[in-house]
Amino acid sequence: MLGILLALALGAAAYLWLTTTRWQESSSEWESNARELGDEVASLTAELGATAADLETAKTQLDAAQTRIDELANEKAQLGDDQAVSDQYLDYQQRVSEAAGTVALSLDRCIDGQAQLIEYLRDADSYDPDELSRFASDVDDLCSSAKDANTRLQSALDG
Amino acid sequence: MNRHHGRAPRGSLRRTRTSVAHAAVALVLVAGTTAGCGVLPPLPDPVPAPSSLVPDEAATLLDGEPADATVDDTSLRPMAVRIRNVQCDGVSTGSGFALDARTLVTNRHVVESSRSLEIATYDGQDIEVEEILATDVADLALVRTTADLPAHPELADDDPEQGDDVTVVGYPEGGRLTLSRGTVLGTTDDPLYSNLGQVLLTDAEVEPGSSGSAALDDDAEVIGVVYAKADGGRSLLVPVSTLDSLLDDAGTFAPLDGCDGG
Repeated sequence: MLGILLALALGAAAYLWLTTTRWQESSSEWESNARELGDEVASLTAELGATAADLETAKTQLDAAQTRIDELANEKAQLGDDQAVSDQYLDYQQRVSEAAGTVALSLDRCIDGQAQLIEYLRDADSYDPDELSRFASDVDDLCSSAKDANTRLQSALDG
Repeated sequence: MNRHHGRAPRGSLRRTRTSVAHAAVALVLVAGTTAGCGVLPPLPDPVPAPSSLVPDEAATLLDGEPADATVDDTSLRPMAVRIRNVQCDGVSTGSGFALDARTLVTNRHVVESSRSLEIATYDGQDIEVEEILATDVADLALVRTTADLPAHPELADDDPEQGDDVTVVGYPEGGRLTLSRGTVLGTTDDPLYSNLGQVLLTDAEVEPGSSGSAALDDDAEVIGVVYAKADGGRSLLVPVSTLDSLLDDAGTFAPLDGCDGG
């Protein structure tokens, strides 16, 4: 009886010794894992810090690039506006020049008509009075139109 | 005689004491062994590799949003466009924003009486205009383009509430692309009589040239279209509900004649 009990006690002692040894080994492995992971965390923290610094630099560069893009887009837009205004001014000048040419031509034709009328009147007896009168009326109309065109042109230039 | 009767024999007493001691040791061992089976620690589980202890997925914020899901100024800019309206007797500028890849929204008064319309994106690229459409019931117009626009926002489902944040993205005075922030002050009757129904009043600062700008909420969704500057540095918006209802009615927007009849 005592022998059996002694064997049981020895068995329990052996199991406790084995358990203690295994737990010591396990604890050691966990500690090793913890140290490895700790090293990894430290490494990643350092990398994160470096990456954060890179990100901050990239953000600064992005902001600078965005600002430059805005500036260039704005400069281009302002030049485009100026160009559009200049084009309109040139177009206006061209239309004024064309109008002035037309008025000048009308006035020339008026002068020519009046000169021709004077020529006819110097020798009025040689012409049909009705036709002479109609020619004089046409010259008046032509000159009246030329004067009106000139007046409108002057008004436009003054405006 | 009495002493003999009063004591047990010596040899008998020693045997009795030995038996008791053996029983006690046996009891302790049995009790210890029996109890020990219940309290003895188990053997440890195998230790996993360090790599298997690291989670596969990154942590997320409490509200479930990814950490980088914020709306910043940079993401708002590409939706804006600058509009140059070359008229028969002058040049004016305004703003607009993309509704989809080839359609942009602006004000009617920004694009009317036009001889040619010139669109520029936030980064200065020129976009050709294909068609100009406008409606008579609100100060709104649509411009179809021949090339894709860089980005377009979503329209909000509902009009904003009083006190909601608003960001206006446009080109005040025809200058640089600008973000102007403020809050929604409420609704009001249109003082210019150019829109049916109520319009929105905000304290986001705008200037001539801001007309047609997108007004955005905190989710970068369109809540209105700037169409006028009011007294006291306030601004007037065509609400998104008006824009939405007009877009749903295909016949509302009609081609707009230019200043030379074209």
